[in-house]
Amino acid sequence: MSSAETAAASVLRRDWRKRREIVTPEGVPLTVELAEFSERAVALVLDLLICIGVTVAIVLLFIYLAAHGLSGIILFAVLNLVAFFLRVLYFIHFELSGRGATPGKRVAGIRVIDRRGGPLTASAVIARNLTRELEIFLPLGMLISASSATSGWGNLLVLGWLLCFLVLMFFNRDRMRAGDLIAGTLVIAMPRQRLLGDLVETRARFVFSDNQLTAYGKRELQVLEDLLRRPDDAETRELLRDVRDRIVRKISWADPLPPAETAAFLRDFYTAQRAFLEREQLFGRPRADKFEAARKREE
Amino acid sequence: MSIEADIGLEVADVSAGRPAIVLKSAEFRRTREPSWQELERLVDTAERRGVRMLSPYELNRLPQLYRSALSSLSVARAIALDRHLLLYLENLALRAYLAIYSPRTGVVEAGGQFLRAFPAAVRQARWHVLIAFLSLLVGTAAGFWLTVQDESWFATLVPGGLAGGRGAASTRQSLLDGEIFAPWPGWAVSIGIVANFLFSHNTLVGIFAFCLGLAAGVPTILLIAYQGVILGAFIALHYDRGLTVDFLGWIAIHGVTEITAIVLCGAAGLVIAQKMLFPDRYSRVDSLAMHGRRAAEIAVGAVLMLFVAAILEGGFRQLVASTPGRFAIAAASAIGWLAYIQLVRPAGETR
Repeated sequence: MSSAETAAASVLRRDWRKRREIVTPEGVPLTVELAEFSERAVALVLDLLICIGVTVAIVLLFIYLAAHGLSGIILFAVLNLVAFFLRVLYFIHFELSGRGATPGKRVAGIRVIDRRGGPLTASAVIARNLTRELEIFLPLGMLISASSATSGWGNLLVLGWLLCFLVLMFFNRDRMRAGDLIAGTLVIAMPRQRLLGDLVETRARFVFSDNQLTAYGKRELQVLEDLLRRPDDAETRELLRDVRDRIVRKISWADPLPPAETAAFLRDFYTAQRAFLEREQLFGRPRADKFEAARKREE
Repeated sequence: MSIEADIGLEVADVSAGRPAIVLKSAEFRRTREPSWQELERLVDTAERRGVRMLSPYELNRLPQLYRSALSSLSVARAIALDRHLLLYLENLALRAYLAIYSPRTGVVEAGGQFLRAFPAAVRQARWHVLIAFLSLLVGTAAGFWLTVQDESWFATLVPGGLAGGRGAASTRQSLLDGEIFAPWPGWAVSIGIVANFLFSHNTLVGIFAFCLGLAAGVPTILLIAYQGVILGAFIALHYDRGLTVDFLGWIAIHGVTEITAIVLCGAAGLVIAQKMLFPDRYSRVDSLAMHGRRAAEIAVGAVLMLFVAAILEGGFRQLVASTPGRFAIAAASAIGWLAYIQLVRPAGETR
């Protein structure tokens, strides 16, 4: 297969993210893209680093202020308590603050939403963040504090516990951890899409007949659209020439076509093809792709 | 290619006399585009600096523009073949939706909401609370009965870590001096008890009872009942030495709070179990999402109660070295919790 086919595949592969649908209170379904595990891991590590930093600072202050008669055990206990309240408040504060994301999540470009499209409630945020305690921190804390005291079996049990929750996250469709499951939340990616110019020409130099335009359908149109939107470089020009040749063969374009006109020809073809498909769609004859006619015949 | 380049090209070639093309979708885009751009600007600001940074006029515009973007999206889905435009509108509508419907509560406000939601959640789950409490009672009775008959059961029923050297060999005097009226251990140990509440036996039991609700609830009931067994065994041990009342005072000062919390954790686990086993007309995951929040509210509230219990245990138990005093605090806390759970309503809810 030629490079045009691979390019088409790579162009449309923007669908690599898993998608879900939520319905807004206005009743319009919107598509959301699930966050990747890697993004969530990065966000968690960043948030934890921030929390640990602040906790250490507070505890250092504590030691500085009351440097007398504090044994190591007490210090450790206080550290535990400060860290607990700090991280719980940190996560809840930022996820409730209107952006639905902690600083780590914002860096990773992800946020928390309600799974069914309603507003994110305080109790959902509290629930999902306190569940994190028993998913991660509690077993970790037990591993750290109990590693010397208890037997290997206890540690094994704790590891199994950690693993259980990890597995749960990897093996459900919506990548929910236990906290998301209980709180009814979803973590989604927040890509930002800019509006680019319309590719439609208002005046065409090349004119195509309806017969020529029946060769393709909506899918091919969109592949062409993505090709035309690629940044202009040597590879793109190569691709465009390739695609032009294929189109010329397919629709039996007879007129001469100098290489310099490639882009103009393809844009005109795009415009004419879109106008044609729009009209057909309006008349109740949508064409999904170039096999539409063959499918019709089979039926 | 940018829009400017297109326009330039077009102006240059008008004289060439090309046929004019009017696409419905291009017209649609041309007329709606300014309002999309305006919405995008507002959403950008809201995302970067928060909705509070918008002026009153902009705040007024935001929902209007959002709704018109939604309608644009619906139209585009029906007619547009332009994939980029669809993706853009999807993204814009989603961002605007999130900017409009996200929570804007502070931690303090959220805490306040939670403190009002917790009693309501407990009241809704009263049957679950009752079942959890009954299993605790049954366990206590069983533990008491077994240990009263034969004290060697104590060592079998109570894990070594909790027994703390107490057992069939303990004398009345050793229990009085070493346990019930032991001297106050000082700040260090007290703070340690409070600070380590999250890793204490009771908190772990509570959290496990809640989580095991995901395993259909039977382990939850067994775990709660087993806590009763341990309690019953302790009561029996002291009963045999004529210390029942003193022991009850010693345990009740924080036990009222602590045992209630554990029962509530169990009840939360049972709520989860029930909604998973009998999802009604929803899917199990949806049913869990709808009711899991309530269960989590109960469990979170219970963990906070355990924190209060840790303060009572670490701070007050050995300081108040008289049984009537301890019972007074226990009774006060019982009345306090009961009143809180019965009387506090969520904001806006009337009786």
